[in-house]
Amino acid sequence: MSNTAASDDEVFKYFHDVKIDHDNIAHYRGLMAKKLLINRCDDCGNWIYPHRPLCPKCLSWNVIPTPVSGKGRLYMYTLIMQSRDPDMPLTEPIQAAAIELAEQPGLRYLSRVVNCPVEVLAHDMPVALTWIEENGRFWPVFQPTGKAHG
Amino acid sequence: MDVSGQYSNPLVKRMARNPLKDKIAVVGLGSTAYGRDLARSELSLGLEAAVKAIADAGIDRQEIDGICGSGMTPLAMGGAGFLSLQGALGIERCTWVKNGWLGSAFVYAVEAVFSGLCDTVLVVQTNLRGVGMSRAAARDPFRLRASKYGDVGGDVGLGDFAKRWFHSGEPYAAMMRRYMHDFGTSQDAFGLMAVSNRSHGARNPEAVMRNAITLDGYYGSRMIWQPMRVADMDVPVDCAEAFIITTAERARDLKTKPVYVHAMSLGGARVGEFYENTLGWTENAFWVALQGLWARSDIKVTDLDLFFPYDGYTLDAIAVTEAAGFCKPGEAGDYFKDSWDFTRNVLRLNGRTEVTTNGGGLGMGRAGGSNLYSEAIRQLRGTEGERQVKGAGTALVGIGSFFHDPSAVVLCTG
Repeated sequence: MSNTAASDDEVFKYFHDVKIDHDNIAHYRGLMAKKLLINRCDDCGNWIYPHRPLCPKCLSWNVIPTPVSGKGRLYMYTLIMQSRDPDMPLTEPIQAAAIELAEQPGLRYLSRVVNCPVEVLAHDMPVALTWIEENGRFWPVFQPTGKAHG
Repeated sequence: MDVSGQYSNPLVKRMARNPLKDKIAVVGLGSTAYGRDLARSELSLGLEAAVKAIADAGIDRQEIDGICGSGMTPLAMGGAGFLSLQGALGIERCTWVKNGWLGSAFVYAVEAVFSGLCDTVLVVQTNLRGVGMSRAAARDPFRLRASKYGDVGGDVGLGDFAKRWFHSGEPYAAMMRRYMHDFGTSQDAFGLMAVSNRSHGARNPEAVMRNAITLDGYYGSRMIWQPMRVADMDVPVDCAEAFIITTAERARDLKTKPVYVHAMSLGGARVGEFYENTLGWTENAFWVALQGLWARSDIKVTDLDLFFPYDGYTLDAIAVTEAAGFCKPGEAGDYFKDSWDFTRNVLRLNGRTEVTTNGGGLGMGRAGGSNLYSEAIRQLRGTEGERQVKGAGTALVGIGSFFHDPSAVVLCTG
């Protein structure tokens, strides 16, 4: 990916299977550059997710897609044992988790936990953002930050 | 050929009551600009109109306790449906929510206020220049994408994993684990709910699942989304239920024994539509709906002969049980053990309240909760034969999701 920001057409093409709209295109443009951007109110500082154009705290429209630190905690998780597609069985469980981002209580992003044995998964464990490649696209995932898991 | 009135019946007399005459008013309005290409999302336009209407009315947005959003489907997520609007506007609690379009949305809102389900409704109706309406629109990638994924569910399960929990049992599995963690309990509450409904199902000749299970059998059932098992999930079936509803006055002239709606409430919480942003266990839509119900009902939880907690997942049923106030949050497991009828292997709450006597979704089959209404109505009519609960006069039906379409209804024999 070049340093210049992707055009709208490039974002639509790259995320051909995502509902890109005027409220979330900046987030997906960020993902193409391996940046996790979450909307933040520039007036009151409130973080806003999912991608909405209005601050639900102060009703300001001055909402700016802003990089997050990538630090967070595992709020809740499940192991997806079974694929919904009968022709695409899973080879191993997917560790799906709602990550509570460090920026604000209750600000959570759905992702996967990687580089972490299943028996280590625990509520509220500290995690940090990393990226994985899937079918040529990069996606944000999280991994434990404890010393034992480097 | 004149075919007008070909099905008419001269014996049928129609009423035209108007009890809402002069009783409901419009107090605020807001409009956006109109343009061929405003380059904004449907939600963004809806929010602008909403904010302006709230300001025009001069009310605090927390006075809004009902929302009619935009759309042809009850859920209509991804646009300007009520879930997205409530979340985006930060409105804490609604006891009535619905989507509508064309002329009906306004009428729905008036109905809701008149009925007492809410006091102040926000109606939001958005429109985008659609790809089928304009050839230029059909070249706009934003409009094309909105038309492709604008329906219920949108792009769930496709490219972006972060949208996978938009509508699914997977977040419920995570919430189940979080519940056990936060309250320091085992999974027994969920298992006992499944066992009870399957026991009832085994005695219901219409049920799809005719085999009862034990708690061991529950724990041995296939893991789907750990810690949620297949026995936690209702059984997908083909089915339908229908109801006829009229005035109490008219009902008294009909041949069936009337079952009356004593009180009801819907529920919407400010979390909006993304499950990972779930509020605390006691703040979700079930709690809003049940609190809205008890604020309106003369019949109380201890008066109930019958209880029908929605069992799309056992997690729903536990939430409805606790939200209804049968026990405190997190205590369903111990409460169920104290409430167990060992002779029939079913729940019997408060020493009197029978639970989901047809087996519900887990035992009879998935009807989206409509078979809970139908079983409650038949029990209150007293027509359930071998499984009739003697003298049943009151029932609570609590159905829905933690986020969308929750309902709480008390039915009675009057």
